Amino acid sequence: MKLRRRQRERLSLGLQYLVFIAIIAAVLIAADWDRLADAFFRVDIIKSMFPTIITVALRNTILYTLGAFAFGLVFGTILALMRLSRVAPYRWVATAYIELFRGLPALLVLFLVGYGIPIAFPEREIPGGVFGSIAIGLGLTAAAYMAETIRAGIQAVPKGQMEAARTLGMSHFTAMRTIVVPQAFRIVIPPLTNELILLTKDSSLAYVLGVTAQTIEITKFGRDMLNDRVNATPLLVAGLAYLVITLPLSQVVRRLELRYAKAR
Amino acid sequence: MRFPSVVRQAGLVVAVTALALTAGCAKKDDSEVQASGVKLVSAGKLTVCTHLPYPPFQSKDASGKVTGFDVEIMDLVAKELGVEQTIIDTPFEGIKSGQDLNTGKCDAAAAGMTITEERRKVIDFSDPYFDATQAMLVKTGKTYKSLDDLKGKKLGVQAATTGRDYAKKYEAEKGLKLVEFEDLAALQQAVANGQVEAAINDLPVWTEYLKKNPGGFEVAAEFDTGEQYGFPVKKDANPELLKKINEVLAKAKQDGTYDTIYEKWIGKRPSA
Repeated sequence: MKLRRRQRERLSLGLQYLVFIAIIAAVLIAADWDRLADAFFRVDIIKSMFPTIITVALRNTILYTLGAFAFGLVFGTILALMRLSRVAPYRWVATAYIELFRGLPALLVLFLVGYGIPIAFPEREIPGGVFGSIAIGLGLTAAAYMAETIRAGIQAVPKGQMEAARTLGMSHFTAMRTIVVPQAFRIVIPPLTNELILLTKDSSLAYVLGVTAQTIEITKFGRDMLNDRVNATPLLVAGLAYLVITLPLSQVVRRLELRYAKAR
Repeated sequence: MRFPSVVRQAGLVVAVTALALTAGCAKKDDSEVQASGVKLVSAGKLTVCTHLPYPPFQSKDASGKVTGFDVEIMDLVAKELGVEQTIIDTPFEGIKSGQDLNTGKCDAAAAGMTITEERRKVIDFSDPYFDATQAMLVKTGKTYKSLDDLKGKKLGVQAATTGRDYAKKYEAEKGLKLVEFEDLAALQQAVANGQVEAAINDLPVWTEYLKKNPGGFEVAAEFDTGEQYGFPVKKDANPELLKKINEVLAKAKQDGTYDTIYEKWIGKRPSA
């Protein structure tokens, strides 16, 4: 059977679609839908999760994320400036910190903050309880990543900007503060938003600190409900709750990246 | 026109692929390994799920080997089947929800697990093998004697346990502030460094803890909840294994093996 080139291409494409559809069909047919629905989609359980999943769990997830992000951003900016400093010890300290905290799992850092600090400083509490602990714990890790991002952003600002500012008589510090850093932040908004998305999910680690009914976040809420109802539906709802936060953020990143690409 | 025949050919390819896939996804019930007429998820091993650490029922000893009361009882079952016991450490909620058993991760679980009606809906339990009492641990010098004394105070519990459910029942009535920890180790840490005022867990667990950390802590209250432990097996799937476990339990209680293991791990048996 001899085919012309265009026909061959069409045939190959058609086959690929068909195989793709066949795989999906096979999976759909092989799955046990009744049991899946019973395990993951019980409407009565979904109903019982509202409004707590929004008023407590989602709210706390957002709070923890923002706390960690704010802490990480401030600390990360300081670290980035230290790494670019002309003073050598600043550079050493910042580099050592970044290497250390980029290499440690967030879970471990959070555990050290939650259990180590109370032992080191007895009878003292981290301000803000779980919120404070998670903001610091996750923020310490996030700062290491953000520092590198911000440093790259600062270095991406054309040298001429600094030179021009210095020529106008500005001090190095003033030029950094008013000319270079603001431009750098415009550049790093998309990667920082990605960091925000990562932190949203990492906030689920709050469970290691021990949580109460008031400080519970989405994942732990889902797992608790799973335990109480002995059914996996709460996990599905918890997953959707995360998407409520992360999907719009992803959209923001995409928009910003597009806008930035156009501006160039 | 040649195209339709090509499409037909493509259809054949797809059909074969789909068939192969379906076959590949088929359940492996038939290929399960047998030992003395009992179905096992992997050959030559009794695979048992648990959540570590939970001394004296299951925890790692100095050499890193998992041992304890539950472990030794399950060893008897494995011996009866002529296989070795392999222990898988997994979150308690996976055991409690029956998912670890349903997905074939393990044949049975041994996790100091209380038999409850809720849990019975998703797993089969062996005969009871242990009477458990809940108890409240506090640091020495604290004056709490009951849940009433903890009004407005932080009380630590372990996630997915009956101790947590018990405390939850009185949360509103007694004005407790429940703080939930993932595992026993974190719960003990929290009491030790004052993150919570007291913690509830099974009495033998605290007894073991006091043995290892003398002086700093005490059991302030006991709550007789009439709980009994059972070994979970996959729901309606492995009656042979369930029968075997029950047989081994009955035999061990009769010939004194159970008492020996009990005294080794828990202490003197209460005269019932």
